[in-house]
Formats: sequence, structure tokens, C-alpha cells
Amino acid sequence: MATVTLNQAQKTYPNGFKAIHGIDLKIEHGEFTVLVGPSGCGKSTLLRMIAGLEGISDGEIIIDDKVVNTVAPADRDIAMVFQNYALYPHMNNYDNMAYGLKNRGYSKAEIDAKVREAARILQLEDHLERKPRQLSGGQRQRVAMGRAIVRQPKVFLFDEPLSNLDAKLRVDMRLEIKNLQQRLGITSVYVTHDQVEAMTLADRLIVMNGGVAEQIGTPIDIYEKPASQFVAGFIGSPAMNFLKGKVSDDKKHVTVGDGVMLDLDHVVEAGRDVTVGIRPEHLELLKDGEGQINAGVRMVESLGAETLAYLDFGANADNVTLRLQGTHKFEKGEKLSLSVPASKIHLFDIESGQRI
Amino acid sequence: MYQSKWRIFTNHTILVLGSLFMILPVWIAFASSTHTREYIFQNGLQFLPGGEFFTNYGAILFDAEATKGRVTALEMLFNSMVLGLGFAIGKVIISMMAAYAIVYFRFKLAVPLFWIIFSTLLLPLEVRIVPSYEVVANLGLLNTYTGLILPLIASATGTFFFRQFYRSVPDELLEAARLDGAGPIRFFIDILVPLSVTMIAAIFIIMFVVGWNQYLWPLLMTTDDQLYTIVIGIKQVYNSLYEGGQIPQFPKAFALTIMASVPPVLVVVIFQRMFVKGLVETEK
Repeated sequence: MATVTLNQAQKTYPNGFKAIHGIDLKIEHGEFTVLVGPSGCGKSTLLRMIAGLEGISDGEIIIDDKVVNTVAPADRDIAMVFQNYALYPHMNNYDNMAYGLKNRGYSKAEIDAKVREAARILQLEDHLERKPRQLSGGQRQRVAMGRAIVRQPKVFLFDEPLSNLDAKLRVDMRLEIKNLQQRLGITSVYVTHDQVEAMTLADRLIVMNGGVAEQIGTPIDIYEKPASQFVAGFIGSPAMNFLKGKVSDDKKHVTVGDGVMLDLDHVVEAGRDVTVGIRPEHLELLKDGEGQINAGVRMVESLGAETLAYLDFGANADNVTLRLQGTHKFEKGEKLSLSVPASKIHLFDIESGQRI
Repeated sequence: MYQSKWRIFTNHTILVLGSLFMILPVWIAFASSTHTREYIFQNGLQFLPGGEFFTNYGAILFDAEATKGRVTALEMLFNSMVLGLGFAIGKVIISMMAAYAIVYFRFKLAVPLFWIIFSTLLLPLEVRIVPSYEVVANLGLLNTYTGLILPLIASATGTFFFRQFYRSVPDELLEAARLDGAGPIRFFIDILVPLSVTMIAAIFIIMFVVGWNQYLWPLLMTTDDQLYTIVIGIKQVYNSLYEGGQIPQFPKAFALTIMASVPPVLVVVIFQRMFVKGLVETEK
């Protein structure tokens, strides 16, 4: 059983740059937590702080019930998988996996049993005598995971482990990681900038921005109720549409673009300027004249399974993306009639970006 | 790439001429070393080997009289070998450790210290040879192998090369090793040293040849014939070529020269293979 708790964990670099602004988090036993955010948001730093590769400037990091702020990485009982695998190039794969065990004084027989077991789980039995460079990227990443699981650590840390792989392999390995983590039931923290990876892997998602955890929750919660405009724009692909809007006098509608009125499902103070967020997949295509919104088509992208249309919402608005299932044929300039269910409209404060 | 016959022909001609230009003097020295001294004295340098190979080389190797001193060429070869190996191995070890400290440990003045070490590259050995002699003499290390080797084994060149190499080793390897429970010494021995094999081979080759070819330094540090290196031995033999009204010992002098050049050539040939193999095989 292992839990990871962060109490106001902070990181300030010697040059004064504050990378992490105090994060509170409790990761339960066996939970798969994903840290996601744009580059430079501090997600890797936070992971490395948990690993002990970066010091912690203030606050506490607790693994199980023990404060590990000053404990050496090797003594935290964690294992890490790196983006570029970080396998020892001069050792064969067997030795790569066995190295950590050797340093911890396991007997030859124990090491052999553990390495062979890990190799069996990861289907690496035929590659143990080879050097890492003789393997493909996916196999190398498996060796790196093998190196992590042989020690049966309390916590797995993954630092963008799939970003060096090609797209197809990434999907396969994603499933494999999820599978493995569930089978072994080891508490895991996973860093990625890829929101698809984040959504699919996470039991709990932490969206980070500028050293702050913008939102912590299950992937679906975050998708359905993004806490801020940043989160709303980051999670979901294609990204959420944002429009400038003004709440109407009856407090039940919001006006966007050239006077389009949208229903709201909750009351907001009248006349307030807001940012309206609508996901591309929540715009519904209706028969002519039936929708609240009429917009012209600027461009169409057909992906087969779905069709993306970029719409003109009038002079005061950016392009709005529409995502439809299946194939649709639209002419350029064709007027579409659309509507949005009130429950799918997100409102954000125009200043702070917080959800209203 | 397509190459015309004419082009191949010219390329090879240039290569063959270049090789001949390099090899011919050595060959003449070798051929001339296998004749009697009377024959050389009368007929000049020879292109074809004579029949005195074993006599001349045997005398040089085992008979101190032939080298005009109290030591045989065999003993001088041994001294040179000690100097060359001690010099090269010492430099590799010291510079690896110095570079390790500079690259991987955060301590005050690490950067200025590195540049101080680096700036000593500007000072050739000859500049500091007198003070170095003084130090060695005061330590009572004249005429010892220690005195011959120890003052030379700090190497700015080696430190610089290893520093550059270590900086190119990805940080993740260090981090992975830290997570695997390897301390600084384990990391150095288990990870860094095996990764540096090519660098070690390269620096070893260079330093061995430099050490082997040292002339001024052993000349100053040793007054005892027993510690003469073969490079000094050659000089001694040439000095005595015209002494005593005898026919000059050209063949034996040539034989000594040839013998002096064999070990460095062997080291280069043997280690270069490892060097190239390492270049092909290792990947950071």
C-alpha cells in the first residue's frame, strides 16, 4: 500500500524562478494520476520532486506516512521511466534490469527470478542478452519499464514515456501501460503533454499551468466541468470554441457574435461580460431555420469518421469549429442552422478565466 | 558513387606515393640496420636487407657495449615502456577523475578551477621543466621511476577531453543510476568508465606516444644509465658514432632507432582497432 501526499509543495530555483507554487494533492493507493499541461507548466518538475531528483523548496512530500523531502531518490522506493528510456547503453537488457537490484544487495538467484518474471510480463524473454540499441523504440521502452517493475516499488513515475514513439506504437504502449498498472496495482504518477494520453490513462487528472494545479479531478469531470478557461481549452480536441458574450437582461441568455442568443441553464448576473465556451462536438446541426445560430461555412475537413467545419460567427468572433460524426458535404459559404443545449454552454469570467 | 577508372588510378597513385614517402626512410633505416658497419661505411645507405639482422639486433638488445653505455637496448625498452605506460595510464586516470569532479559535482569555483587547469595547456612542459626539476630533486625522486612519471601525469588535455565527453552523456543516465541506488563511485565505475572506453583508448594512444617520445624530461631526471629510456639511448649512440677512430656503428644505431619505433606503432595499431570498434559500437 502506498499513497503519495503533497502538502503545499513548492519549488523555487536559485535564480528566483518559482516553478511550482504550492500544490496540495493526495494520491491514493493504486491510483493512476496523470499530470498534464503545456510545456513549462512545471509538471516534469513536480514529478522529479516526487522522485527526489529535484529538491523541494517548501512544503512536504509524503510517501505513505513518511516525509521524504530529504530522502535520497534510491531510498524513496520509487521507480521512474524516462522519456528517452535512459537505458545503460553498454549493458545488455538483463543487466539493465538487474542493476538496481544488484546495488540493493539482492542475491544472484533472487535477481534472476525477478528479472525473468519482469521479462515474462513484458514479453522481453528473447531479448535479454541483447543490448538496448539492438531493440526497437517500443522494446526499449519496455526494458525501461522492466527496470522499474523488477524492484516492485511503491510508486511508479513516468516522465512522458511515449513521446519518443511513433503514433501507432504510442497507442499500443498506452494500452500496455494501463494494463500493466492495473494488473500490478502500483500507485503511479504519469506526466504527459498529450491530452489524449492523459484522458485515457488517468484515474485522476491534474491539469497544470504556470506551476499551479488548475484543476484536479477525473478526466470526465474535467471534460464536462472545466474549472477555468485554460483547462477548457487544453482538454478536448479540437479545442473548445471561445466567444465573447454578454449576459442578457433576463439573466437566462447570453448574446454572442452578431446578436445570437443562447439559452443558459443557470442564472448569471445581468449585463455581465463573459467568455462563452462551446465544445465543437456540442454544436448540433438542425434543419434550416430551426436553430438559434446561423453561421456560414469557411472551410471543411473530412476525416471519414468525423467532419470538422470551421464556421463564421460574424465579424466579432473568431472561427468556430463544428465537429460532426460521419461524413457531411458542405459548400463553402453555405449557411448552417445550429443549436447548443443549455447544459453544454460553459461560461468563464472574462478577467480571471474562472468558471461561472 | 560512380568513379571513373582514371580517377581511381590517380587516387591510388597519390596514396601510393604518399605511403612510399612516409615508409621509405623507415625502410632504408631498417635495410641498413641489417648490414655490417664496414659495408655501410663503404657503400652508403642500403635499399635491400643484408644478412646481419640477428647479429646486429642481438648485440643491441643484449650487449650493453653495443649501445655505448652500461645498459642494453632491452633495458632501455623496458624503461621506456614503464615511462610510456605510467605516463599514459596515470594521465587517463587522473584526468578522468578530475573531469568527473568538474562535471558532476557542484562545488564553489568549479568553473574557474577548470579554466585554470585548461590554461595550463598553454604552458608546454619545457617552460616549467626547471621548477619541476627542482621539486623532483627536493623530493629525492631523481633517478626513480616515480620521479620520472609522477610530475607529468596531471593532464589538462585529458581533463578537457573527458569533460567534453561527460557533458555529452545524457543527464537521464545519471538520474536513472541514482534511482537504481548507485552512489557517485558506483556511477563512475559502472556507467561512466564503460561508456568512456573509446575516449580512454584515444587518450591512451596519444599519451603513450607522447610519453614514449619524451626526451628532455628523462634526460634531466635521470643521470643513472640504468634508467635511460630508448630515446635517450639513440642520442647516446649517435653521440658516440665518431668517437675512438673506429668505423661508425651506423647499422646498430639504425637498429636501435627501428626498435624504438616499434612499440608506439604496436600500441597505435592495437588500440586503434579498439578505438574504432568502440566508435561503432557504443551509443550514448
